[in-house]
Amino acid sequence: MSDVILSFENIEKSFFGVRVLKEITLGVPRGKVLGLVGENGAGKSTLMNLMGGVHAPDGGQMLLDSKPYAPRTPSDANDAGIAFIHQELNLFTNLSIAENIFIDGFPRMRWLPLLNRRHMRARTQQFLDAVELDVAPDTLVEKLSPGERQLAEIAKALSFDARIIIFDEPTTSLTARETERLFRLIDRLRSDGASIIYISHILPDVLRLADEIAVLRDGELVAHGQTSEFTINRMISLMVGRAIEQLYPERSAAPTATPVLEVQGVSQRGIVEAIDFTLHKGEILGVFGLMGSGRSELARILFGLDDHERGQISVAGKPYARPSARRSIDAGMAFVTENRRDEGLLMDISIAENIGLVALPHYAAASAGAVKEGRYYDQIGGVAESLAIKSGNIRQQAVKTLSGGNQQKTVIGKWLLDKPSVLIVDEPTRGVDVGAKYEIYSILNDLAADGAGILFISSELEELMGVCDRMLVMSNGEIQAVFDRSAFDKERILRAAFRENG
Amino acid sequence: MMEANVNEPNRAASRTQAGAQSAARGKTQRVLRKLLLSEYFVLYLSIVYFLVLWPFIPRIASPQNLGNIFSNMWPLLAVAIGQTFVLIVAGIDLSQPSIMALVSVVGAAVMTTQLDPVLFEKSPLWGVVFTEAGGPLAGSFLAVPVAIFAMLLVGALIGWFNGTAVARLKMPPFMVTLVGMMFFSAFAIYLVKSENIIHLPESYVLLGQGQISFIPYSFFIVGALAIAAQWLLSRTVLARWFYAVGTNMRTATVSGVPVVRVIVLAYMLSGVFAAVGSVFYSARLAAGRPTLGATLLLDVVGATVIGGTSLFGGKGKIMWTVFGVLFFVLLDNSLNLLNLSYFWVQIVKGSVILMAAALDVARTRLLARG
Amino acid sequence: MKRLVTALSILMAISMLFAACAAPVAAPAAVPAGEQAAAAPAGEQKTICFAYQDLETEFWVAGHKAIVETLGELGVTVIERNANEDANKQLEQVKDCIAQGVDGIIIIPQDGESAVTIVGEANKAGIPIGVFNRPPANDSNPTLVIVANNEVITQQATDYMAEEAKKLGRKVTPLIMVGDLGDPNAVGRRQGFYNTIEANPDLFNEVIEVPTKWDGATALANLEAAMQANPDVDLLFTSSDFMYPQIRSVLEPLGKWKKIGEEGHVILGGLDGDSRACQLMRDGFVDATGVQDLFYEADTIMQAMLDAIAAGETTPENWMDDPGFALTQGNWEEKANDMWGCKLFAEGGESLDRTFEMP
Repeated sequence: MSDVILSFENIEKSFFGVRVLKEITLGVPRGKVLGLVGENGAGKSTLMNLMGGVHAPDGGQMLLDSKPYAPRTPSDANDAGIAFIHQELNLFTNLSIAENIFIDGFPRMRWLPLLNRRHMRARTQQFLDAVELDVAPDTLVEKLSPGERQLAEIAKALSFDARIIIFDEPTTSLTARETERLFRLIDRLRSDGASIIYISHILPDVLRLADEIAVLRDGELVAHGQTSEFTINRMISLMVGRAIEQLYPERSAAPTATPVLEVQGVSQRGIVEAIDFTLHKGEILGVFGLMGSGRSELARILFGLDDHERGQISVAGKPYARPSARRSIDAGMAFVTENRRDEGLLMDISIAENIGLVALPHYAAASAGAVKEGRYYDQIGGVAESLAIKSGNIRQQAVKTLSGGNQQKTVIGKWLLDKPSVLIVDEPTRGVDVGAKYEIYSILNDLAADGAGILFISSELEELMGVCDRMLVMSNGEIQAVFDRSAFDKERILRAAFRENG
Repeated sequence: MMEANVNEPNRAASRTQAGAQSAARGKTQRVLRKLLLSEYFVLYLSIVYFLVLWPFIPRIASPQNLGNIFSNMWPLLAVAIGQTFVLIVAGIDLSQPSIMALVSVVGAAVMTTQLDPVLFEKSPLWGVVFTEAGGPLAGSFLAVPVAIFAMLLVGALIGWFNGTAVARLKMPPFMVTLVGMMFFSAFAIYLVKSENIIHLPESYVLLGQGQISFIPYSFFIVGALAIAAQWLLSRTVLARWFYAVGTNMRTATVSGVPVVRVIVLAYMLSGVFAAVGSVFYSARLAAGRPTLGATLLLDVVGATVIGGTSLFGGKGKIMWTVFGVLFFVLLDNSLNLLNLSYFWVQIVKGSVILMAAALDVARTRLLARG
Repeated sequence: MKRLVTALSILMAISMLFAACAAPVAAPAAVPAGEQAAAAPAGEQKTICFAYQDLETEFWVAGHKAIVETLGELGVTVIERNANEDANKQLEQVKDCIAQGVDGIIIIPQDGESAVTIVGEANKAGIPIGVFNRPPANDSNPTLVIVANNEVITQQATDYMAEEAKKLGRKVTPLIMVGDLGDPNAVGRRQGFYNTIEANPDLFNEVIEVPTKWDGATALANLEAAMQANPDVDLLFTSSDFMYPQIRSVLEPLGKWKKIGEEGHVILGGLDGDSRACQLMRDGFVDATGVQDLFYEADTIMQAMLDAIAAGETTPENWMDDPGFALTQGNWEEKANDMWGCKLFAEGGESLDRTFEMP
């Protein structure tokens, strides 16, 4: 048996005349973890889709156990023992775990068109035990947390004896503890003999898990070797094609003492409790918390998307009751949501109209009146340019065709036409590659320098420490601690974040 | 390993063949794709359809027949424009036919000049709104304008009701307007006890039947409204709000779009345009009819969707609807000229609407692939 | 935006073009029609457009068959149009017929009001039009009409029912299922029924009216509700025979679907004279039915139409009356053979001998 389970040989693939994979030759090691990294659009997903039978290569071939492997459909791939654990999970939320696991072939009672539920339950229990998911096989998937769903999906992969398991950004919606549990499980799968491909933007995770690392850039394999040959900085330079000296831009201006957003005693039962803080002009104020700490919920309340029972929110010294998105916008607030696909963007509509949407009423005499299109598109063009959104034609190109980083820049761009005085950003770098991350930090930095106050919510402590002037740490819906930049200390911050949460 | 080697040449050969095939397929696909995504697809379809049928039924190109097609288009177009607004905000308005019925009764009740007591004595409006001598404005020069205004107003009110239920109470549009359809058509029948109101003023009837040298009045009015609607849907703030709400309501909310107001407005426009259609349909028949438009729903939704307006929301143009209505009226007309039985006409029309829905899905997919 | 304006202007230009052409072309277009009419005696093929509102009941099916078959035998091409109960659709269909240059038009309209408008369209085009069985609401536009004298026929049937009711020796509760009152037929039948009621003020309690809209499902639902509210109905008149199945399914569970002479029999009567009514009378469930003379009506309207075409008349006007008659258990022996429904029934191989004992 060779120590390569699956190999790509001179793989070529183009979409609409654009070469997205160029002569890829790569072996997936047997019984090991291969970390696959690259910026969005580098070709990782396409490569995996070839393996999964979603697309067929234009040239070259794949060998599985040294035999030609050419799956035509995803179920061919399943039959060959290849399982996908997707970023967006592929379970039927209205069915139970057991039903999901057996969806492709329910065990029958002999001779009868009835399901052998007892057998289904017993087998499912085995797989659930194997992934350490402590719920009953009959539990509906919709009742599970994102992390638990992930485990259920892995259990499904185990059910058809997958030999190669592909994890595509598996940790984006997991809490720290769930992530830990997933890593332990991956370690165990490896020791049981499975081969694993692990795709992630979170480079420290890749370093920790992988035995080998492969780096893709612009459809080419730029590096492949033992993990020991890589450092985070080397990976980043390989991915972006240049050396990056620093991950975070230098702060170009200091915060002032003028308050722009004052929050006093904001409470909503079961969600947030007695939130007090002040955001100043030119300040980047970080909010760190684990999942479920109330950080994103607080953002929604401040922006008026959700209700709060008590407390007062003032912008530029003026309190406003009954907040709504429109009122918040009129008061000078902006909100970059953590969920850009469902809440941030109109995916089917052009980049220009997405950027224009928020400030739109300011470009017409009346809401039913004609938009002054000259000025409107000029200023949108200016914003797109200042954010360096990569697009041939922002008025024609639909925003969904952009990479994650450019989509995120578009979400930020929506708010810039109105020059907001308060910018709430929630997980602005989620699913964004390293180069674009740096750009987004710089944009926030520049906005702060121009006098905006920025509330930067994130679950990535590193980036908050790199970018913020101050940091609030939330847990259980309350602010547990406030740190000044000079007092940033990873251990103390994490301890505060884990307080109450255990 | 042996096996793999033996298979190799075969595989390579089949791969080249597959490559050539896929290249040819790629070209047809590109052409098809371009055609499918073209704004004028339905117009081309109508022209091709017309030209194909011409040799078989030469009558289809007779001036009188073209005149018929041309005058049948406009009332349907008015209603379909209303539906377009609602489809764009990812709704659907099934209550349009009942709006048409109700407003035709309301308008006729205001302006009729004579009523038969035998038929109308039992109406709840008898002695309250109208009597033997007709409606409250019978014979007045104000009768027609006031009646039309009342019709548009009632259409707008029902639209407001539908829109409020959908946007504020978050009820599914299908349910709201389905119930609306039952409720308002029953209400129209109740108001006049299923009688048709005739004896409408001459000038009103002329709206439906009159023409300036072969061009019906309805063309000028509906054409102007179509242009106004298209302006509203392309140049204004409101336009962008309509599409934003239809594409993704949550994004629209977060972006400060007054979602509730936009949805209510879409349904109100749907009601008003249904009322405009009702003016022409009822004027053409010279009667306010509580069953007016009862079979029109499929035509309206069918024509709008054939035009290319998406049932999933966020996509639609008045021009597409014009083409859709043209195609639909042409289809209907040709099936009649072919002397097909009624059942065949329905079967063919149903299939065409189904095809349009399938086409909508295909287009959406194509667009999704970028 | 610009493109929409362009599209609309092109459509207008096309129609203008035809407006321009139409002036010279319309005249020749009219000529062939005239020529055909003139040449008709020489054996030129004639075309008649037959536009009906729907064919829901046996009456319409039989009428449709009679008209289409007879015209076919005479060598006339028949173009059929079904409007599926939509008056606007029927208007468009008749306009299509006119565009095709037919020689004559026969319609079964959805209702009397729309008939007036449709007749007007044919008048404008100078094509003779006839209205079958369901007359226009008024005579403002000239047309051929054949219509049964509903009021008189109904009254003959209901008078017989009233005589039967008197034999009960008490006040009886009458119920009428009324049709779509937009249809003059329904109005006439209702009037005939009330003539009988008013002639016997001491015999009848207040009338219960059940609206049906000429629709089976509506009839069933409304009759069910009415019988719930008034279980003591003992005389029931249906404005059309096609509703007997609905009547039976409501009366039977109440123990009121009984033959004449049996305990609980409701005195039943209707109008049309279809084959079901014939069978129910033979079997003793129904007391009387008013008969429209369907075949007479079909023959009359066709003959009038063909005469008008032959004479080159463009707007013939003639309101023709079908006197009809009432078939009752009293005159069954002599009249049963005259009813169209009984003819259809007998053609199906059934015997017209009564299967029950008259009390």
